[in-house]
Amino acid sequence: MTAYSHEKSRALFERAAKVIPCGIYGHFSPAPLIPPSDYPFYAESGAGSRFVDVDGNSFIDYMCAYGPMVLGYAHKKVDAAAAKEHKKGSCLSAPAPVMVELAEYLVDLVFGMDWAFFAKNGNDVTTYAVMVARAATGRKKVVAIKGGYHGVAPWTQGLGHHGVLEEDCGHILRIAWNDFDAFASLVEKHPGQIAAFIASPYHHPVYADNQYPAPGYWQKVQKLCNQKGIVLIVDDIRCGFRLNMAGSHVFFGFEPDLVCFCKAIANGYPISALMGKGALLTDAAKVFYTGSYWFSSAPMAAALATLAELKRINGPELMLAFGEKLCKGLAETAKSHGYDLKVSGAPSMPYLRITDDPSQMLHQKWCGLCTSMGAYFTSHHNWFVSTAHNETDLTDTLKIADRAFEMLKKEKR
Amino acid sequence: MGHDRVLASLNLFAVLQNLEELVKLDPQAAALCADWNVSMSFSVLNGPAAWIEFGNGSCTVKKGWDLKADIALKFVSCRHLNLMFESKRPPIIARGITRLPFLLSKFPQLTKRLEYYLKPDEKLLETDELFRRMNTILTLNTAAFAAVELASYDPVCQHIASAIPQGTVLLKILPDGPAVTLFIKKDGWQAQKGDIENPSAKMLLKDMDIAGAFLNQKLDIFCAIASGDVAISGTVPMLDNLGLILDRIPLYLA
Repeated sequence: MTAYSHEKSRALFERAAKVIPCGIYGHFSPAPLIPPSDYPFYAESGAGSRFVDVDGNSFIDYMCAYGPMVLGYAHKKVDAAAAKEHKKGSCLSAPAPVMVELAEYLVDLVFGMDWAFFAKNGNDVTTYAVMVARAATGRKKVVAIKGGYHGVAPWTQGLGHHGVLEEDCGHILRIAWNDFDAFASLVEKHPGQIAAFIASPYHHPVYADNQYPAPGYWQKVQKLCNQKGIVLIVDDIRCGFRLNMAGSHVFFGFEPDLVCFCKAIANGYPISALMGKGALLTDAAKVFYTGSYWFSSAPMAAALATLAELKRINGPELMLAFGEKLCKGLAETAKSHGYDLKVSGAPSMPYLRITDDPSQMLHQKWCGLCTSMGAYFTSHHNWFVSTAHNETDLTDTLKIADRAFEMLKKEKR
Repeated sequence: MGHDRVLASLNLFAVLQNLEELVKLDPQAAALCADWNVSMSFSVLNGPAAWIEFGNGSCTVKKGWDLKADIALKFVSCRHLNLMFESKRPPIIARGITRLPFLLSKFPQLTKRLEYYLKPDEKLLETDELFRRMNTILTLNTAAFAAVELASYDPVCQHIASAIPQGTVLLKILPDGPAVTLFIKKDGWQAQKGDIENPSAKMLLKDMDIAGAFLNQKLDIFCAIASGDVAISGTVPMLDNLGLILDRIPLYLA
């Protein structure tokens, strides 16, 4: 196993740095990939569970484009459905029938939801959800979780971040995950002022162990929201269709008012959805919200094909099972070298961390080494698996991980 | 805290401490104070205080009071102190009136020298390597000590600081320094000039030029990290949040 080289990636980045802020911005920025020299910056192509970078290096992809890839890259059924729709005209002066089909399909699929609204990115629908909640309740404040991520709109970012005003986040109240008492205190402190509670189905922050809800947490949150007229929003953008086809709220046994989907909904085609209970349909209709490409029909066709295929093969179960084997195998490999690799979160999107070094430098080195030998691991973010990951991937990954631990040990000596 | 309170802390504890390094590294500054044997205190009524001691060709700057200082300068408010730093209002000389010639002519020569490096001429920054080096060293120190004050007194930075995990952060210019270390604790932050082993997070700046560009807010830090000009590792949220705090320095010390 020899380490990959990235000459073409670096040459492209040099050009990019002159004409694009950050060179590559946002969550694709190489900055948190430590060390960046171990990572590819530009991809050439993808098929199944793997992608090839511009230097011809192949990676078993455990980031899955940070979530959107769920059935495998270049999935024939999905791509064919999108291509067929695209050929008819994907961006016309009126929506295509597939928009209605997709909304009906989602309403049948996702438990407790009566309508669907489509946009492009997760941020579009989390922001819309908050607007709908405010419109429905006539209230301003929104309770969110410290370290919870709901996009990049100013209200989702913290005070002190560039371009964010104090007023932008003035009504966002952050509390610790799993702290129901903190939520109850806020409700008491701000009577009749809280419009919504928004959180992901379980807590999956970056750079920290992921946490499932404590027993009864969601049920207590739901009960209090229902009692006090607070709209319960679930940001299912990362977990959606990786835990349960009917929504992650079914996985955890509670019933929200609004659910946000994106990422896995269309296997990489750009579309997001806000779904809601019938009681909020009129309020949702009153909020004016739209975008130039939100009616593009090809991504809608891709979403229909993706969801149908995920349902047919029981995608969440497959991913959870593969993730279990992967995490178990990696933890055992770590142990055989004297390291402790802690796994948290759902196996279909696990967060892993070598606990032997609290600074995470050791973990960063290991992830970098694995990536430089072909298993694309990041150290800061939860990983994702897809239904395309298979036994060969697992065997190859464990071999790479083993070699990387060996190299870590040698370096230590 | 108001702008003047924050600025007063920055002036006393982030700017003034640079005299230590200036006297060590700048021959002209060293020559100026080679035979000084004097201590001075700066204190704001119900506000921050610092003192400086010159002796044996070196300079020490400390937080707090020195009741025995040869020269005691008092300020009725933070604004008063800040205006003195802008040479717009004199201090109240509570002790050391006999040292007036020192205060009026000698000490200002040294502070002018500090200003020469900290408020740099853009052309000199571009063309003079030694000047750039001094500017970078002093700006690095200013940044570290300013971060401590901002985390304590600037309302936005207080909010940011509340989210930073505890531990140590090393900022180092390669290959051999200089370096500064920040100790981040719940009960307060501290800055220290110099390296530390096993920090919780580190940011290594490739050379003086990259460090200068970073500290003078002229670097796309994301590009620099990706290209290897800046290397980060460890508890990255510490660096992310520290970066947000450092970015607020120009709001006060433009």
